[in-house]
Amino acid sequence: MKTLVKAIDMSILAGAFLGFGAVFLTYLGNPINSGICVSCFLENIAGALQLHDQLRMSYIRPEILGFVLGAFLMARTTGRFRVRGGSSPLIRFMTGFFIIVGCAVFIGCPIKMFLRLAAGDLTAVAAVLGLVFGIWVGVKYIKKGLALEPPKIMPTAQGYVVPALAIVLLLLLFLAPSFIKTGDTGPAAARAPIPIALGIGLVIGAFSQRSGLCITGGIRNFILARETTLLKGIITAFVGALILTSMLGQFKLGFNGQPGSHLSHGWTFLAMTLVGLGSVLIDGCPFRQLVKAGQGDIDAGIATLGMLTGGALVYTWALRSTSAGPTLQGQVTVLIGLAFTVSVAAAFRKRRGAARA
Amino acid sequence: MDWLDKLSIVVIAGLTLATMGMVTNQEINYRHLANAQAEASGLQQTSQLEIDKNIFQPFDELDRQGRIDQARIKLEEIIKQNPDKSSGYILMARLQVKQGNVGDGVLNYRRAVDMQPDYVDKKTPSFIGREIADVVQKGVTKYSREKQLRPNDQQVAQVLHDVYYLQSRIGGGCE
Repeated sequence: MKTLVKAIDMSILAGAFLGFGAVFLTYLGNPINSGICVSCFLENIAGALQLHDQLRMSYIRPEILGFVLGAFLMARTTGRFRVRGGSSPLIRFMTGFFIIVGCAVFIGCPIKMFLRLAAGDLTAVAAVLGLVFGIWVGVKYIKKGLALEPPKIMPTAQGYVVPALAIVLLLLLFLAPSFIKTGDTGPAAARAPIPIALGIGLVIGAFSQRSGLCITGGIRNFILARETTLLKGIITAFVGALILTSMLGQFKLGFNGQPGSHLSHGWTFLAMTLVGLGSVLIDGCPFRQLVKAGQGDIDAGIATLGMLTGGALVYTWALRSTSAGPTLQGQVTVLIGLAFTVSVAAAFRKRRGAARA
Repeated sequence: MDWLDKLSIVVIAGLTLATMGMVTNQEINYRHLANAQAEASGLQQTSQLEIDKNIFQPFDELDRQGRIDQARIKLEEIIKQNPDKSSGYILMARLQVKQGNVGDGVLNYRRAVDMQPDYVDKKTPSFIGREIADVVQKGVTKYSREKQLRPNDQQVAQVLHDVYYLQSRIGGGCE
């Protein structure tokens, strides 16, 4: 038994929890193909806090709080709670914002991308290609000297800010005061029971903290150094989701009429290129930013706040897609986001001989 | 812990208690107000349903009498006067599908769903997802075939686009 436990890599375990947990959450009531979606859920939280006025998209999603608190508890108990920060905070905030715009134009974060694919939604193929391309471009820049400023050790108290915010949001979820909005229709009404959603979030957050599971990180490591540890976790999550969607009768192969999807494949590709490149810049996909914020990474906390701002503005400014396709504002913002991320990647390259000059 | 730390703890505790007291008080007042508003909103909804019924009554009568063409003309008139009533588009869609005009029916279902997403939301009393799904199925069969016969026909492509849009909306997801 011990040998078996040792043989199972921590990232495979985290991937299994992620894949099975996400589909199980749809079975219990979460939106179809969207058992876990960091961007959609941040949009929901932004709505609950009245940062946008789409009541159909307003609900404090316990899964997100579970990711942060699970990572926090795991980091505290294993001595991995290390408070660091101060690495290009504004760049991280803006990149977090643009990543969510990219996700909103595709309609889903990288986790949801795999969940959609595992449910037979072939429109997600363009998203996979876009994400991998974005990461590949980022790796090219890394090889040519891209690195944001190195983080510094920060006062411990700062590391508690994001977990404390998660606890406050959890209290608000349970107490349901009038200033917290919860939609009774649409995606907001599609929700799994709170204790189960929170529990699954905590387990996934904890195991992802231990393993470092990250969708974009796994692909980046493979492209950069043919390193497969995290990639195995991603593949496990995909296979787990594929098995469970098939068992639950949620698998429907095709391009047309897929839930919460559109047929503008070019924009899907560009949007996820933005997500891929942005995630390489700030060292992690939206899910990884939440986990890192929970383990005391101030920079990831700043990126998370940028993502929450994005979650609000994609609705207020309509920077997103519907099943009819992306809005003009969404398309323009994706292009601006790509220009921004490429500019940052170029500006933060450490060129050979620069010191001498 | 020196005297300043102790003072800080007392101040934080005092501020927390004061905040909780203020929020609790506000919540008690809000709940009373919310109950009254819910009652008023219920009455308003009932009277709105009554108004809608009166608006569409001339159409209903003609439809009941089987005077379909006249019913359609009347409904077009009513929709022109009340373009914000999503139920008008649903009635028009039903009429068009009944007459075998699936393409226009799909377009009107789409207009109605865009105005009132509750039509495809299982958790609302307005849900008519199964009815729309049946029409969508007919649309997929008919227009996929037409697309093969006339691949460059923009009208066919548009109807098919609307059919898939409705299919996606019925499917659910984060929208």
